[in-house]
Amino acid sequence: MTRTPLRPLARILAARQSGENPDAIERENLAARHEADRDSQRQRAEGRLLVLGIVFLCAFFMVGLKMSFLAASDPAEPRAAASGAQIVAARADITDRNGRILATNLTTHSLYAQPQQMIDPERAAREVARIFPDLDQEKLLRHFTGSRKFLWIKRRISPEQQQAVFDIGEPGLLFGPREMRLYPNGKLAAHVLGGAGFGREGVSSAEVIGVAGIERALDEELRDPGRGDVPLTLSIDLTVQAAVERVLEGGMKLMNAKGAAAILMDAKTGEIVSLASLPDFDPNDRPTPLTTGDQAESPLFNRAVQGVYELGSTFKIFATAQGVEERLVSRTTWIDTTGPLKWGRHTIRDLRDHSPALTVEDVIVKSSNIGTARVAMMIGPERQQSFLGKLGLSSPLPVELIEARGARPLLPKKWSEIHTMTVSYGHGLSASPLHLATAYASLLNGGTRVTPTLLKQDQVEPGPRVVSENTSEQMRSFLRQVVQRGTATLGEVPGYHVAGKTGTADKPKPQGGYYDEKVIATFASVFPADDPKYVLVVTLDEPVETSGRKPRRTAGWTAVPVAAEIIRRAAPLLGLAPDIEPDHGPGVTLASN
Amino acid sequence: MSYLEYKVQTVPTGARKILHANWALVLLLTAVSAVGFLMLVSVAGGDFSRWAEPQMKRFILGLIVMMMIGMVPIWFWRSISGLAYLGALGLLLLVELFGAIGMGAQRWIDLGFMRLQPSELMKITLVMILAAYYDWLPLAKVSRPQWVIVPVILTLIPTALVLKQPDLGTAILLVAGGGIVMFCAGVSWWYFIAVIASGVALVYTVFASRGTDWQLLKDYQFRRIDTFLDPSTDPLGAGYHITQSKIALGSGGWTGKGFMQGTQSRLNFLPEKHTDFIFTTLAEEFGFVGGFSLLALYGLIIFFCVVSAVQNKDRFGSLLTLGVAATLFLFFAVNMSMVMGLAPVVGVPLPLVSYGGSAMLVLLAAFGLVQSAHIHRPRSR
Repeated sequence: MTRTPLRPLARILAARQSGENPDAIERENLAARHEADRDSQRQRAEGRLLVLGIVFLCAFFMVGLKMSFLAASDPAEPRAAASGAQIVAARADITDRNGRILATNLTTHSLYAQPQQMIDPERAAREVARIFPDLDQEKLLRHFTGSRKFLWIKRRISPEQQQAVFDIGEPGLLFGPREMRLYPNGKLAAHVLGGAGFGREGVSSAEVIGVAGIERALDEELRDPGRGDVPLTLSIDLTVQAAVERVLEGGMKLMNAKGAAAILMDAKTGEIVSLASLPDFDPNDRPTPLTTGDQAESPLFNRAVQGVYELGSTFKIFATAQGVEERLVSRTTWIDTTGPLKWGRHTIRDLRDHSPALTVEDVIVKSSNIGTARVAMMIGPERQQSFLGKLGLSSPLPVELIEARGARPLLPKKWSEIHTMTVSYGHGLSASPLHLATAYASLLNGGTRVTPTLLKQDQVEPGPRVVSENTSEQMRSFLRQVVQRGTATLGEVPGYHVAGKTGTADKPKPQGGYYDEKVIATFASVFPADDPKYVLVVTLDEPVETSGRKPRRTAGWTAVPVAAEIIRRAAPLLGLAPDIEPDHGPGVTLASN
Repeated sequence: MSYLEYKVQTVPTGARKILHANWALVLLLTAVSAVGFLMLVSVAGGDFSRWAEPQMKRFILGLIVMMMIGMVPIWFWRSISGLAYLGALGLLLLVELFGAIGMGAQRWIDLGFMRLQPSELMKITLVMILAAYYDWLPLAKVSRPQWVIVPVILTLIPTALVLKQPDLGTAILLVAGGGIVMFCAGVSWWYFIAVIASGVALVYTVFASRGTDWQLLKDYQFRRIDTFLDPSTDPLGAGYHITQSKIALGSGGWTGKGFMQGTQSRLNFLPEKHTDFIFTTLAEEFGFVGGFSLLALYGLIIFFCVVSAVQNKDRFGSLLTLGVAATLFLFFAVNMSMVMGLAPVVGVPLPLVSYGGSAMLVLLAAFGLVQSAHIHRPRSR
């Protein structure tokens, strides 16, 4: 666009000569320019408005058209949602890995009253109190004759109770359908499932919401109406879970422990086949949380996931594995184990003195604190931290339990050299048994990291490599010897080549220091040793084995036999065939010639 | 032409402003609200004091607010539009933060006499700032990418916050409202074509991926979209509103059943009968004639706004008027389509008719701005 200058020289000069005001020319030109601007703007704006108008008109037309279609349609009979409407099963079922129901929904009824509509409140109160002995007749009568228009009497009643109330014939007593969560297996897998409660409540329905465990962690997914009737399939195997819980309960009683936890995990995929924590509870009737005292004493406390403990010598394999992986030591390197080992103000001792030096293999087999501490010193704090981090031991695990999110391992505040030494034999770092199981699986399955999960996986890509296949295999052979000739000889299960490590840690006092006679005994194992399929961690809280002359508390006497029994029972259920070597007799071969 | 360039002296002053107000618009707004009062009496079963009375009080308050805003010169509103936008954004952030901290999913701020939803306020302040922006921006720069990106960001920030609440309806209204103002301001066609085309392509790709190896969403997410788009697949869940409201509309027929004779809405078949789904009551009791009349009233409001905008040579006033008209249009178009099953249920009230204070007050305040633009429009001598 060519613009006329605001003060064209020729015109200005002409104007000056004729005595006119040159500013008038400028104003005139300015006005003309604005006019042109506005015209182009107007033109464009009008085009735009036309388009917008057409869009608006189309919308009007469509809405009007639809309205006329609806007006012309045959009126259908109104449908009511209020009474008798069926409640759609809103929450998805939960099943085990083989499709057996772990949690489902059941429609029962709630009982409420509308006192205004009552004919004979006195009789109603008497009869209701007869049917539900836990209700107080006086109180009911007060409510029934009071000014309230509505009150709940019972949130859930059985069909028999419903019939009995129905038979009273009182129009002021009413029922509403009420969907509830049912756990048909009772206590089985209680800590995995958690439980559900009611959220917002109405007369005709109530919202079922997860309150703990996987029900809470995956609440949104379970409630999603878009999911249809596809159940949530867990990695738990119900049969194995039952066997594990049964053995664990027996073992806990036999070892006089006050609590116990067991985790059975697929070593390759991280699928948790069984997870048990005792004492447990019935998710159909969750106990109320403790209001005073230590929450860890509550049956609702999931020791396998929430309990962070110093797990003792089970940690020794991590330092050893890292030493071997980084080629600082090999299987046959001799480590000085002369005790006690003094480091600053601290003294590290072994349970009993070993020979002045042990091979790395024997450090594990004999479970030497001093030996492990020396290997850890070769590694140093930084590398140790990063390795334990790679094994998942420094952050909460992403497992699908609401409780797991809060279970952050307790790490030393300042990771100095003395901490490097103590952490290497499992002191100064607390983690949950699930952390331990995950780390063992990652280390021993061939060396690829696993992520623990409670959901059945179709196919799992191996995670990033933690240690080489060779290191992993060596560690399994070390742990196999722990069972064959070390601290866990009671762990031998014929045919299943168990490999594992014991750990006995004194329990810390809440006020600092350690108890002398209270321990956490742990056995972390993998089987079969030559072809690692499953990892099993068994933890007993304050066990005492009293069959001997002196009470025995070490894991080798407590956790190990329990774990062995679990493997004996669970391995066949998991479909593992025992690998029994043919018996060649007493060494005499027949020679017939 | 900006207000700086016209002779302010020609603008009416003092009490004379009242004479120059757009009274046709006031009349139409009152008429629409009156339809609302009538319907609120009906859904309350003849009870005037339940919903109709508070709604009426709020309407009168809103009317006063509207006229007061209208008296204030438009250049004042132009100068504070940036501040207003930032204020609304701040309030939006505030409820977002409080909601996150543990007051539940709260979307409003309690002012004592009413609950203000910052997202409502945002719809108007967004239109204001966009109008002010294009008033300031020289026309030649309007379609340059670096100048297009600014209003896009101004629109998307509050949209993201509102989506997080989550309030899909308001988010759609914000984006569409901002888009219409930009369109009216003369941003090149190509931007709109590109955005719409890429949107269509994205939706198409997502749906085309269904059932293939490279499926972009999970199966249950697709099922959720299905239910969202076609509620009849889940008649007792998400589709309940729609099914019932369609039945109500059908049972109204051409002339309706008569005032207070509707069964569907009065017998509690319909949830939200006094808020988002109030249109069904109207359609049932007054039939197609009643529903279409309301539609026509809305249409007239839009028409008067557009006429006022075309006459207005002040770019800010003109764009603002169009923006407010577009917001109103989006409100009722989305609500009516939703009620009639043309669009998914996203939770948008019927403007001026649905029960609810903050939406009505904010909308009337917005029409106050329209009045101000109308009264203070530049006039040739």
